[in-house]
Amino acid sequence: MNENERFEKILEKVQKAPRYTGGEMNTAVKEWDDCPLHFGFCFPDTYEVGMSHLGLKILYGLINREEWSLCERFFMPWTDMIALMKEENLPLLSTESRHPMHEFDVIGFTLQYEMSYTNILAMLDMGGIPLEGKDRGESDPIVVAGGPCAFNPEPLADFIDAFMIGDGEDVMTELNRVILERKQKGLSRKECLRKLANLEGVYVPSFYDVEYDASGIITGIHPNTPGVPETIRKRVVTDLNQTYYPEEIPVPYTEVVFDRIMLEIMRGCTRGCRFCQAGMLYRPVRERSLEKLIDLSEKLVASTGYEEISLSSLSSGDYTCLPELIRELMRRMKDKRVSISLPSLRIDSVLKESLEETQQVKKTSLTFAPEAGTQRMRDVINKGVTESDLLEKVRDAFEGGWSSVKLYFMDGLPTETDEDLDGIADLARKVVEEYFRVPRERRAKGLRVTVSASTFVPKPFTPFQWAAQDTIPEIIRKQDHLKKVLNIKGVNFNWHEPYVSFLEACVSRGDRRIGRVLLTAYRLGCILDGWTETFRFDTWMEAFKACGLDPAFYANRERGRDEILPWDHIDSGITKQFLWHEKEKSEQAVTTKDCRKGCNGCGLQRWKGVCGYANPRSV
Amino acid sequence: MRILAVFEKSERIRHIGHLDIQRSMQRGLRRSGLPVAYSNGFNPHILITFASALSTGACGQREIMDVTMAEPTDAEVFLAKMNRAMPPELHLKEARAVDDRHPALMGSLRAASYDLMVYDSQEAALLNSAIPLMMDQPSIPAMRKTKTALKECDIKPLIYSLSGEGQHIRAMLALTEKEACKPGMLMEALAGAAGLKEPVRFLTTRTGLFGENTEGNLAPLELL
Ligand code: SF4
Repeated sequence: MNENERFEKILEKVQKAPRYTGGEMNTAVKEWDDCPLHFGFCFPDTYEVGMSHLGLKILYGLINREEWSLCERFFMPWTDMIALMKEENLPLLSTESRHPMHEFDVIGFTLQYEMSYTNILAMLDMGGIPLEGKDRGESDPIVVAGGPCAFNPEPLADFIDAFMIGDGEDVMTELNRVILERKQKGLSRKECLRKLANLEGVYVPSFYDVEYDASGIITGIHPNTPGVPETIRKRVVTDLNQTYYPEEIPVPYTEVVFDRIMLEIMRGCTRGCRFCQAGMLYRPVRERSLEKLIDLSEKLVASTGYEEISLSSLSSGDYTCLPELIRELMRRMKDKRVSISLPSLRIDSVLKESLEETQQVKKTSLTFAPEAGTQRMRDVINKGVTESDLLEKVRDAFEGGWSSVKLYFMDGLPTETDEDLDGIADLARKVVEEYFRVPRERRAKGLRVTVSASTFVPKPFTPFQWAAQDTIPEIIRKQDHLKKVLNIKGVNFNWHEPYVSFLEACVSRGDRRIGRVLLTAYRLGCILDGWTETFRFDTWMEAFKACGLDPAFYANRERGRDEILPWDHIDSGITKQFLWHEKEKSEQAVTTKDCRKGCNGCGLQRWKGVCGYANPRSV
Repeated sequence: MRILAVFEKSERIRHIGHLDIQRSMQRGLRRSGLPVAYSNGFNPHILITFASALSTGACGQREIMDVTMAEPTDAEVFLAKMNRAMPPELHLKEARAVDDRHPALMGSLRAASYDLMVYDSQEAALLNSAIPLMMDQPSIPAMRKTKTALKECDIKPLIYSLSGEGQHIRAMLALTEKEACKPGMLMEALAGAAGLKEPVRFLTTRTGLFGENTEGNLAPLELL
């Protein structure tokens, strides 16, 4: 039996075979031999998660649009598939043409979540590619990665040849051109990487050395190769209207997590929440124009047949002409029976009217993210929501016929006390009261208030990047406390085990030495760590021990002001000085205003013409 | 008016279940821009029915769907627009416009023809030679899966024809709303007759769906 026949055979035995079979609407039908450059886009999680991801769809379209490059997808197989592939001695194959990974010229991973890192190792391994960059030869593909987690590339420095930092749309094609040159001119691997390191926003970790002191604290990060930059500045696309956005996206046969059109209305956020890494990394705010969005949505509806469009961004409520956009989309989509949903909804009074329009088409549960239970705590994290704001919006929602509300909170925030936790319960109780205040005949039946608390993970490039995470016993104590105080009729409480958050804290602020831990954990059998059924905390702890590293050093240690952080050579545009200042303000519960009310001098104002709200004099 | 369309479910997507095929067709219809009719009510959906659900794992050469149109639509236009809107894996082969009073497909369905490709050629040879043997028996017991249990039944009256050639076994099997002989039941019985101990690995392709014409003979459902 040949490879394809053996693959077909295991598909008969595997669960959820459609994950692996491809052939979806709008997936590439490019001929392998017609394109000189083959890009393997790897999503290091399952098909259902990967196919819900907007970045995949953007880059997939962008690479396939070029005549000379072809992009095919790889996903992380589930454990049953991995076992069957081993049995049949089959390599990881691309979803489209079923070519093995090692036949591609570039392998690109998207880094969305630290808990997917062992999947990267597993996929490379199954793909027949040496795990570590130093072991790769002239015939091996160049392995690259991008996405939000690439801003601290260090834990993956041993495995990824080059990282793309920041917005991917422009740098992707530049990078592919260099790799095409490698192929056509026969550039050596080293020469190719050298050229890549000279592209703006590209970081080649093997060209840098890191030194540590006896306690494991970094004492220096330096280039070891002439001609590579000291710091790597992130890429920013300044005009979203001029930036590629797909007009056709793959439509899976089976239901995936987000099975709809995602319309990115803007990138970035001006609010400056101090816990939010995305809010810092995706600065500055850039909007797509209303005309462009209407045009895109018409084209996407025509090319996909989807029944739903969700407006996607970090804070869709801040989009300048949101009511106009929603009204116009609804007008055009009504006859096509397409509904519009806003996932990260902030309802402001101006939106009330549009909200009433939304429910004509579809009514879903409303989500609010107060993040913390007391005003003091919300001031610490700079979440500019007051209790009366929130209750007013909830009242509007109940009056508008909603009966299901989700409230998101965090526990373990810096300076948090039990009083702040009690505040979460107070808020939930007040939300319930708002519901009963609406006259019975006007409100929808079946009140459901869901309170979810996730454990705070300090992230690089935020004002909390120096902070210690609560220890596991402390988190458990706090969660138990929450369970007690949230025992309220009409309220459901959800929480997560603290172990994953602890590990996430270790990896997200990890240095290069964490790479050893990843490799050891993978060799000990850790994969699919983002899934409760496959997560093995004890094995991870074993891996730390085997590498002689203390996880608490990464998760629970407060860093000093002058400490060199593992990601200090990456320039996100935001200065360390600004972040430290924000940290100090947070300790005094002093808020920082929304950038739309005036520039706060985060550092991006240094880059001319990048931030539309910046005032260059505030440096 | 309605359109009856014959389509193919390719080998590549044979593991896609019936509900997902239905949804894919609906999205295809939405992409095509054709004037399809929607149901009334809170959650309107496209008025589309399928003659028969094809099981997960099986390919279909001539599956049939029935789409209600909101405006008169030419069958050729329907075919052309749909084929532009569908992936090659769900290709439409024929379309025919019928009156609203045309009987529902599901009720007229009597039988389906199958091509069962046996992967192992030695096994195929054994199965082929067991066909006359099995068909000579007064009854052919097989196990039928119900929602709760396995039930023994006689499939002999449900096998309308059966032949074998090379790796392919071809069968015409009863398929109505009340009774059906699934290819798996047939192959299990045949494997038993051939003295095979292990389950046989084969690829199911449903090659056609049949109803009864005025003379009482089986005829392609889409033409009735
Ligand atoms: S440059 Fe100023 S306005 Fe722009 S994101 Fe930074 S603080 Fe906000």
